[in-house]
Amino acid sequence: MNETCYIDGFGPLPIVKPDGVASLGDLIRQAAARAAALYPVGGQTSISIGAPPSKAGQIVDLRALAKVIDFPARDMTVTVEAGITMKHLSNLLARENLRLPIDVPHADCATLGGILAANVSGPRRLGYGTLRDYVIGISALNDEGNEFKAGGRVVKNVAGYDLCKLLVGSFGTLGIITQATLKLRPLPELQTVLVLMGEPGQLEAILTSLHVSRTRPVCVELLNQAAARTVFAEAKLAVPDTSWVLLVGYEGNADAVAWQVQQLVKEVGKQRRIDGRIDFTAKPLCEAVVELAALPMIETTFKASILPSATAAFCQQVDREPQRPLVRAHAASGIVYGHWPSGLTLAQAASMLTTWRDLAVQGQGSVIVPRCPSAWKTTLSVWGQPRPDAWLMREVKAKFDPKGIFNPGRFVDGI
Amino acid sequence: MTTATATPLAERMRGIVGAGNVLSSASDLVVYECDGFTIEKNKPDVVVFPSSTEQIVAIVKACVELGVPFVPRGAGTSLAGGCLPVGGGVMIGLAKMKRILEVNYRDRYAVIEPGVVNLWLTNHLKPQGYHFAPDPSSQGACTIGGNVATNSGGPHTLKYGVTVNHVLGVELVLPDGRVVHTGGPVEDAPGYDLTGVIVGSEGTFGVAAKAWVRITRNPEAYRTLLGVFETVDDATNTISDIIGAGIIPGAREMLDSLILQAVEAAFRFGFPLDAGAVLIMEVDGLDAGLDQDAERIIEIAKKNNAREVRKANTDAERLLLWKSRKQAFGAVGRLAPSYCTQDGVVPRTKLPLILRFIQEMGAKYDLRIANVFHAGDGNIHPIILFDERDADQVKRVLNASHAILDECIRLGGSVTGEHGIGVEKIDFMPKLFTPDDLAMMVRLRTAFNPDNRCSPHKMLPTAGACIEQSKAGRRAAL
Ligand SMILES: Cc1cc2nc3c(=O)[nH]c(=O)nc-3n(C[C@H](O)[C@H](O)[C@H](O)COP(=O)(O)OP(=O)(O)OC[C@H]3O[C@@H](n4cnc5c(N)ncnc54)[C@H](O)[C@@H]3O)c2cc1C
Repeated sequence: MNETCYIDGFGPLPIVKPDGVASLGDLIRQAAARAAALYPVGGQTSISIGAPPSKAGQIVDLRALAKVIDFPARDMTVTVEAGITMKHLSNLLARENLRLPIDVPHADCATLGGILAANVSGPRRLGYGTLRDYVIGISALNDEGNEFKAGGRVVKNVAGYDLCKLLVGSFGTLGIITQATLKLRPLPELQTVLVLMGEPGQLEAILTSLHVSRTRPVCVELLNQAAARTVFAEAKLAVPDTSWVLLVGYEGNADAVAWQVQQLVKEVGKQRRIDGRIDFTAKPLCEAVVELAALPMIETTFKASILPSATAAFCQQVDREPQRPLVRAHAASGIVYGHWPSGLTLAQAASMLTTWRDLAVQGQGSVIVPRCPSAWKTTLSVWGQPRPDAWLMREVKAKFDPKGIFNPGRFVDGI
Repeated sequence: MTTATATPLAERMRGIVGAGNVLSSASDLVVYECDGFTIEKNKPDVVVFPSSTEQIVAIVKACVELGVPFVPRGAGTSLAGGCLPVGGGVMIGLAKMKRILEVNYRDRYAVIEPGVVNLWLTNHLKPQGYHFAPDPSSQGACTIGGNVATNSGGPHTLKYGVTVNHVLGVELVLPDGRVVHTGGPVEDAPGYDLTGVIVGSEGTFGVAAKAWVRITRNPEAYRTLLGVFETVDDATNTISDIIGAGIIPGAREMLDSLILQAVEAAFRFGFPLDAGAVLIMEVDGLDAGLDQDAERIIEIAKKNNAREVRKANTDAERLLLWKSRKQAFGAVGRLAPSYCTQDGVVPRTKLPLILRFIQEMGAKYDLRIANVFHAGDGNIHPIILFDERDADQVKRVLNASHAILDECIRLGGSVTGEHGIGVEKIDFMPKLFTPDDLAMMVRLRTAFNPDNRCSPHKMLPTAGACIEQSKAGRRAAL
């Protein structure tokens, strides 16, 4: 195999593509024997997240492990190998009127294993939760190249420790995920997005009224003007002219959605301009907002996790910075992203990161840098200060991967 | 352990929590020799009731120093023997840590001490239109600390999730006395989801001293339907078809004819006594849209030969229906002196097969078995009626239970959907999991509880001498 690739400027790392679990196991045993590292990848859509690798080794491309193992649609579960792309998976599920309600950018490239490891989520996490809520069984290969599993294929199961939770969001540092069983949801009968226009002084009031609204939105997405411009242009829709835009999504049966649209207009419509988009126009808008994070023009991204009640103030503060980013927030979940196209300098990024982190601390939260030029990663701390429980995480890592085979150096606190 | 060493242990504990919060006399300890799983019994040497994290830390450190094991206990409603003090030692009762420390409606979380009873939190939130979503049938007694430890479910879990979906963070006293705080009210904290593995660890990772839990807005409205069927098959097909139609009811509970008789005698709801099975089906959410769903459900039930579908017309009717369901276990007491509940899971579409199998086991072992369970999740709860004074019956009960659980595994399911492994189901773990699976679970436990001092001999089969000790305890109990 002569293909190679860099991760965060580290490399060149040879790419190997095992054709099944057995050959993957061999690779792990060989790496262990040579004290080398393995960097598992799928579609490489989240590869920019993390610190640079700390050890020579190989990249393991898992896309050949893409079989559908079992799809008992009437049980609303599916078991698939980790290398399957999300596009392929959602097409398969849609045939049975089912879905995994997780927003995944670049679904044509992103693999299930990759999104599980990176715990990808999007706007609709408000209504549907995140991947941890859907993984009911998982298989992975351990540091000895042996397959282990946890959970099972039934939607309710408390036998054994829930290693599914541990592996979701572990960024491939505890083992290589080979297979997962997912709980599914029916496709909704109808999708709508209401577009609310707002000016800076009104944001918290709008968010509070949404919080107490009789309606139950599945997403409350807040965009500054720059982000709105990009999203609406991608969706080929006229761009709203206000400094902030809120996208409020409803999904469900037709009666419930229709009622919620009318109700929201009643509740907040008098003070705000509202523009409703149902099904046909809602879809491109939803897609554009999901894809925003993955646009190739974006070079640097910050992600803040804060209390939902702190979100409006946070967004307005970071919107005032001289190098104004595209600001978008899953506002009711307290997740705020700032995206910068190229042009930012390291010094500007570092100074802004300090501002973001100071502000996030006030909202009891933290900030990570999911994307930036590789060279900056020695200066910017991409994961931020280790949390107080980081020592226990290191303990878990030491038990699962004592030789440091899996993605060494890339995760929090040097894990 | 002998009384000679128990006394200094008790003295040491009194020094930490005060004399009024330590039980050590044989008559007091009897209450704590088992939980809701009564087949195995063993008394702890002492029961201690701390009132703060600091006191838990001091208790745990004393246990380390004195080389004794300890086990956390909430309300003791575990049905798997999670609270059994194998090898004696200190039982840490959390009943006195029962404060709701903070409720933040805007950010939708609450911080609670572990001894807060599940229903108290929901009642506390009620005036603001919120609740704590996990609602085990034991919610009037069980503690949230216990729910966190066992990852409890309840009738509403298919739609709303189990406990782990509603726990944001935990303050845990580790078995060496260190305190770790995982997660918290802010989502997506960078790092491993330690909260996710602490939930459901059945008290083997340490003592949960505090939890951050999600609070959920109440549904605006309900439509509660009672479907009456001639056969269990018709009832289970109805469930599959409802879900196939894209409707996820908040709850779907099935009661078979034997349980109906017991419940009817207790609550006089007006259940038909000659039905093969009834289904309680509830859709909830916004008022708008519920009629659409309810009509579809009625249509689907009729298509599956429902004899009739009744609607709960008033709130009182709905509450009585739910009371009948939640207290069904209690009502079983009318049918036999003792009963034992099993907790297995099968893929939902395999429900008719497992129910037929249960019926066959009833015939084979000459036992009466009633069924009331969370049908939407495929989570069965066969209740085997017996008389515990009859040793032969007890043996048949165990044989029938084991056969049913083996069949759940064969059908692609699990041996526990919500009650846990505890001591009861340890022997099934090697049937569900390979040695490699179990080895990784042991690795995880070792990160939290390396000396296995906290709740030893639970969840995972142990190799070597220790097993002898626990088996001896079991024989003594039987
Ligand atoms: C009539 C009846 C109906 C039931 N219905 C349901 C149901 O619908 N769904 C369901 O899931 N369960 C049900 N159960 C089982 C039981 O109620 C649950 O498992 C409950 O969560 C246990 O809570 P508890 O406070 O009684 O915990 P306990 O029984 O005291 O303890 C259970 C386990 O948790 C550990 N533990 C307790 N507190 C802590 C703590 N603070 N830190 C660490 N570990 C701790 C214990 O060591 C033990 O292993 C039912 C039980 C009964 C008797």
